[in-house]
Amino acid sequence: MLVLPLLVVVLFSFGERGAAGGYVPAFTLDNYANLAARWTAFQNTILLAPLGTVLCLLIAYPLAYYLAIKADPRWRTILLILVIVPFWTSILIRSYAWIQILGGNGLPRLIAEFGFGRPRLINTPFAVMVGIVYGYLPLMVFPIYVALEKIDRRLLEASADLGSPPWRTFVQITLPLSLAGVATGSMLVFILLMGEFLIPQILGGGKVFFVGNALVDLFLQSRNWPFGAAVAATLVMVMLVIVTLYLRAMKRLSGGRDDVAMM
Amino acid sequence: MTDRRATATEKHFLQKLESYRKGSLSRRDFLAQTGLGLATAVMAGTMPGLARRAWAQGSIGDRVVIATWPNYHAPESLEAFRAATGATVDVNVFGSNEEMLAKLQAGGASWDVVVATNYTISTYVDQAIIEELDLSRIPNFDPSAFEARFADPGVINGKTYAIPRNIGTTGYCVNTSELDSATPTTWKEFWDLSRDQLSGRTMVHDYQLTAIGNALKYYGYSFNSVDPKELADAERLLIETKPHLFAINSDYQPSMRSGDAAMSMCWTGDAVQLQRDIPEIAYVLGKEGGELWSDFFTIPASAPHRDAAYALINFLLAPEMAAQEARFHGYPTGDSRVDALLPDEMRSSPILYPAADILNALEFGAAITLTNPVRAEIMARFKSA
Amino acid sequence: MRLYVIAVYLFLYIPIGIIALFSFNAGRHAAQFAGFSTQWYGKALDNPFVIDALKTSFTVAMTSALLATVCGTLAAVALQGIRGRLRMVYDALIYMAVMVPGIVIGIATLITLVTVFDTLNPLLATLFGGKAPPQLGLGKGSLIAAHGLFTMALVIVIVRARLQGMDRTLLEAAADLGAPPMRSFVQITLPQIAPAVLAGFLLAFTFSFDDFIVAFFVAGSETTLPIYVFSSIRRGVTPEINAIGAMVMAASLVLLITAQMILRPRKR
Repeated sequence: MLVLPLLVVVLFSFGERGAAGGYVPAFTLDNYANLAARWTAFQNTILLAPLGTVLCLLIAYPLAYYLAIKADPRWRTILLILVIVPFWTSILIRSYAWIQILGGNGLPRLIAEFGFGRPRLINTPFAVMVGIVYGYLPLMVFPIYVALEKIDRRLLEASADLGSPPWRTFVQITLPLSLAGVATGSMLVFILLMGEFLIPQILGGGKVFFVGNALVDLFLQSRNWPFGAAVAATLVMVMLVIVTLYLRAMKRLSGGRDDVAMM
Repeated sequence: MTDRRATATEKHFLQKLESYRKGSLSRRDFLAQTGLGLATAVMAGTMPGLARRAWAQGSIGDRVVIATWPNYHAPESLEAFRAATGATVDVNVFGSNEEMLAKLQAGGASWDVVVATNYTISTYVDQAIIEELDLSRIPNFDPSAFEARFADPGVINGKTYAIPRNIGTTGYCVNTSELDSATPTTWKEFWDLSRDQLSGRTMVHDYQLTAIGNALKYYGYSFNSVDPKELADAERLLIETKPHLFAINSDYQPSMRSGDAAMSMCWTGDAVQLQRDIPEIAYVLGKEGGELWSDFFTIPASAPHRDAAYALINFLLAPEMAAQEARFHGYPTGDSRVDALLPDEMRSSPILYPAADILNALEFGAAITLTNPVRAEIMARFKSA
Repeated sequence: MRLYVIAVYLFLYIPIGIIALFSFNAGRHAAQFAGFSTQWYGKALDNPFVIDALKTSFTVAMTSALLATVCGTLAAVALQGIRGRLRMVYDALIYMAVMVPGIVIGIATLITLVTVFDTLNPLLATLFGGKAPPQLGLGKGSLIAAHGLFTMALVIVIVRARLQGMDRTLLEAAADLGAPPMRSFVQITLPQIAPAVLAGFLLAFTFSFDDFIVAFFVAGSETTLPIYVFSSIRRGVTPEINAIGAMVMAASLVLLITAQMILRPRKR
């Protein structure tokens, strides 16, 4: 049941477009040969998805670290809940808030008040990045938090007692022990980003184009289903390859331990 | 709270309707008991056809689904329809005719009324997506009230498949307070301004027909061209302009209002709505030409609530109701009976009723553009560039 | 460090604050604040389309999450009994389902359903003959099926993680004492995996309630809340959307806190 739809996609990708759009059964590789026509979309996605993942990671890690290790236990639960709450509102509504902030009457006007000119923020890759980081931050914070929380405090205390500076404790103990969480979080965010459509649509103003946007256009505007199916199949393939490579690398990094599994 | 009360009335209404049909209740009692008497009396004057017909047909069901465009129907009209017939109108809005066709083609979907633009009708007929209309069920439609050019696309091989609802043009709106020069008058100026003084402030429709069509106009080609060389020129212009655009989006009202955008491709009704609040916004129809269109009511072959579909179309075509709709959406209806009911400021508006010489330079979109794969690919390349 | 954390929380909450603030805007346009008013809340609640969309979203999310939870839990328990190569194949398939982007899921479901309908509908027509044969079409049913199917994978993953951490000796003891498998499932397995099942249900519900992209493709003429919001953003917005957003947010906050309160005593 789960696989059938994916098989149909692969099947369709070998078909031809009907005269008025849609799908006509055939066997041709033209759709794959034609993939170059969507190269920009793939390029954007392959560049921006990892970039977004890394940004999320950079912002999320210190937060998760604070929550797991530094925060007052009494406040911890509340602080954690506060991280998820935004995640419970529709991504649509949250992105829409950024339209108001990044639009001409929001942040740019504020910047202009301080005399730094009036930059255009909305409908740029920057806006899309902000939306992405904002949308997916909680997904990154949680796995890292869980991993950090599991670390035995005595290890950290021992390290401090033995006179190693905090940064060293962090690099040699905390970081390696939290890698599993980092891997899980990055994986989750990366997967979601590869198929992203809404955030570029809403915050990119049709100017920042992801594979997801190309797919929606192919199915709902030009109605070239076979080509759309080919693009979708390629996207899944690219993802599988990247994810496999990534998991391998993580496994090697963590010394072949098994707990760096996906979930 | 209001919601619950509404459903209760509905149930009550349906019960009474049932007794009325079985003959256990006279028409007068029925109307009095359901409280519809007053409503009907008020409406009967303006739409004699409807009030009686709906009852004569018996129950039309409690739901009708319409596929249409954003900001296109006054909520009061739909509410009035529900009050008169008991059927709730469910509105689905679309971004383009292409999207509508895609979803209709996917099949399985259950729209009862589809509001489609002239250039799509023949494709819908070829694909057997829509069916021939039974004009006897739409007495409020009077073909003689329409100019032939607006009503003709709905008639194919002598059969009427679609009924004109309203007409409009595609031009561009520009905030004149942001311009150094005089208000532009051509498409050439639109594309030049967007790469020059209004760089970063211009919006182009996310819609192949108008984005490509109006780029073709820069060179004076036909709006509907599918000639490879001419399309290549248009594509070059689009891609050259792309870095200067604020956005590629058919929903330009919010950005024009907030001042983020200063110029945008624009449809008649949006221009009227924008100008109502921001008088500095001017509406320009390029001298070179551009698009003139009319939108039609159609009924898909797969419509699950056909009776309600006919009732809704007929209801909205009643001149009084159509005039109320026109005041809301700001498009002319093309129906001379409705024009007579519009307020003076609408009737004298050059946005709604452009001068004949400008109007005659405009072209109707051609069916070929809807399904032409080259145009679709150009649009995709423009967006991903 | 603390400053940094405060900054991140500000980043998380300023947009939400803005949504809430503008929901009290008296003006018609979202861009300028023109005084305080609660009129948009009344308008949103009075708008039959909002209420309808909310109902549709709720029905779809509830049904698909229930389906996904029941089927997913059973599947996870069943998978527990499978070993070796077959297990590997199943695992790979489930991870695939979790990994495939929503947009591909939407597209895949759409074209599959359309193909299936195209073959089945003529068949139904001949079967029933006469007039008004049942027509299969996109709508609530297809949406529930699509959401149910793909959130099921999520439930399986979550429940399985819990099953793996479960103490198997209890089950063995039960079997030794002659309890039928059904009974040991109800009395031993179920209570132990209950939190995971609940978590799976909540996740599936949220996924479905919040989903736009799959619904965009397979909902046919049904309007869910995200689809309604998307088309409102499209058509140039009034603070009504802000009001809807603020209400949804408040509702989820209340739910979340309630859930936390119910779960807490058990945890400790």
